[in-house]
Amino acid sequence: MSNNRSGLSTGLQSRLLTLLLLPLSIFAMVSAWFDYQSAGSAAIQQDQRLLRLVPLMVDSIVGLGQKPNEPPVILLAPAIEDFLKPRVGSAGYAVSDLQGNVLTGDIWLNSPTPTTFEPEFHSEISSGTTFRVVAQRAKTAAGEVVVQLADGSDPQQNWVQSLIFKILLPNLLLTIAAAFAVNFAIARALKPLIDLKDAVERRSPRDLSAIDTEKSPQEVQPLVNSLNRLFATVNAQSENQRRFVADAAHQLRTPLAALQAQVEAWAQLVTRKSAAERALTLPVDEKSTVFTEKNGDVSVKRSQFAIYLEADEILRLQSATRRTSQLAHQLLALSRADENSAAAQATSRVDLQTLCEEVLGQQLDAAMAKQIDLGMEAQPIAVQGYEWLLRELLANLVDNAIQYTPQGGRVTIRCGRAEQAFLEVEDNGPGIDAAEREKVLERFYRVAGTAAQGNGLGLAIAQEIARSHGASLQLQDANSAGGVARGLRITLVFPNGPYARIAASL
Amino acid sequence: MRLLLVEDDVMVASGIKLGLTGAGYAVDWVGSAERALDVMATEVFDAAIIDIGLPRADGLELTRRIRQNAYALPILILTARDALSDRVQGLDGGADDYMVKPFELPELLARLRALLRRSQAATSATLSFGALTLDTALRQAHANGQSLDLGPREWTVMEYLLIQAPKPAAKDKILAALTGWDKEITANAVEVYISRLRGKLEPHGIALRSIRGFGYRLEHAAGAALAL
Repeated sequence: MSNNRSGLSTGLQSRLLTLLLLPLSIFAMVSAWFDYQSAGSAAIQQDQRLLRLVPLMVDSIVGLGQKPNEPPVILLAPAIEDFLKPRVGSAGYAVSDLQGNVLTGDIWLNSPTPTTFEPEFHSEISSGTTFRVVAQRAKTAAGEVVVQLADGSDPQQNWVQSLIFKILLPNLLLTIAAAFAVNFAIARALKPLIDLKDAVERRSPRDLSAIDTEKSPQEVQPLVNSLNRLFATVNAQSENQRRFVADAAHQLRTPLAALQAQVEAWAQLVTRKSAAERALTLPVDEKSTVFTEKNGDVSVKRSQFAIYLEADEILRLQSATRRTSQLAHQLLALSRADENSAAAQATSRVDLQTLCEEVLGQQLDAAMAKQIDLGMEAQPIAVQGYEWLLRELLANLVDNAIQYTPQGGRVTIRCGRAEQAFLEVEDNGPGIDAAEREKVLERFYRVAGTAAQGNGLGLAIAQEIARSHGASLQLQDANSAGGVARGLRITLVFPNGPYARIAASL
Repeated sequence: MRLLLVEDDVMVASGIKLGLTGAGYAVDWVGSAERALDVMATEVFDAAIIDIGLPRADGLELTRRIRQNAYALPILILTARDALSDRVQGLDGGADDYMVKPFELPELLARLRALLRRSQAATSATLSFGALTLDTALRQAHANGQSLDLGPREWTVMEYLLIQAPKPAAKDKILAALTGWDKEITANAVEVYISRLRGKLEPHGIALRSIRGFGYRLEHAAGAALAL
């Protein structure tokens, strides 16, 4: 997950870093090459200058010393003076005899005597400074001597050092600084994009509301706009589908009401007839009457035909009709419980204890019919929510519990507050295997081999309603003693915060 | 008991009429609000069952007009719409209860019984359940024509159970009703009175069922005929 979250930024960042640092490095190398080139040309210039000066130096020796051991008389040419004067310590000259003995000038200059009369160049290190030294054997007024000129401002000898210190190091520092700067800048520049990605990632998969274009930077607005268009399309489609289901379920109700009203009336007759009478013959005045309406009034016309139905056929018909009605009702509830649909309504304070009492009252007869002990354990608690949705949820859970719990079982409705406010239904029926728990929350899923009647929508509706309240629906074994799962406990845990609070007045 | 059924859907109407007739009610059926008002001008009904989705004037409008004409009969509204606003409008407009179509007949009958009992209690000061009758004005209880001897606290508990029936009565509410008699009364005392009442009601086919964690409910004992 954390890899995913930073994936976008590191991907872009490393690409940008590579793209920016590569030309930067090439630039640094090119500049180093130019520096090297200029250092080389400076060295050539230096050699040429020394070469130019050497004959003048030779000419500066104007005569022998007055005594044999005295150095020759030197009268420096103005060009030599100009060369030496600004370079005290970093330039020098020497005149030596052919044996290498320095006759005059800087005694440290003791290059080997050249064998020819051509000027010879070499480098020499003295007191930490690298000197470029030119030595020329020449015949002068003082006889045949070796004249040396040294220049310590020596670019060619220092170019490696200067390359490291003056070129590579600054370039390296610059590159590192640039890397940090680029990194920082990219992080800053990409922040809106990363924020956008995070915002999209954080959304629940069902949240298809538009992203705020105001908050997105200009560059990603086209992206945000196309995302919003996509959301809107998907939204419209799912809204259409939801509305279709709602409309269809709603339209089903009127014919179902008619069907059910008829069948319920027959079923009532059946149950009222004595048990001994197996085959039911509808009473003559009721079994085959057709009602027609005239001017809002009703007259009764007797039909020619009569049909005979077995009592249990009518009861089966009644059962099928009730189930169909329940399906229509639940489909409608499901489409209304949808998060987006629910959000359109205002929440109110819902007293969970009262809700438990009311649902218990409604389901009491169904429980009694199966000799199920339906009871409650309620603490005073109120939450903020959609009252009719929570009622639907609780009714579904209790109805499920009664359906799946065998005769003589026990179903308990609870509400209260542990860490958070909760609403709970527990039964001692067969329970649901851990592997099935995810699936039973899906629409129309039914656990294989269950005998109880149901359409597999009850828990899906409960899940949908939980979601629209930001609550979670938890399925657990009521007790797992002896390793055998028995019973089911379904708990709706409400979120903490402003949504749940204990009602002080209760 | 004579009921007025206002429903324009022939199938629904004939089914409901059949069911109500089977349960022993006399049912007059009309298909429009206008016709309903005409009939009510001349006939007297104990309760009205009105569908919201009527042609021309709808069921809500009819309910308002019935109340404007100062008819006091209980009104049960039927609706295929279950939106909350419809229910609220229906009840605000003067209806006493509503049911969402499609519905099960036993539920319709139960709600009708409750409505009729409440309206009876309001007009005649008697409460009844099965064979049991409580005359709240004379403070006399009868069952199957025999006088029942109830102590004052037993009477209070019995009255509260009857008002709530067929819904269960919460134990703490019964306790609250009793504190008028005795401030120091405990939850155990409620159980004592309930057990005494059980003894007195059982011979008349009326049971008092305990609802775990909640309270008690008046029921017709198994085998007793379902009375209106």
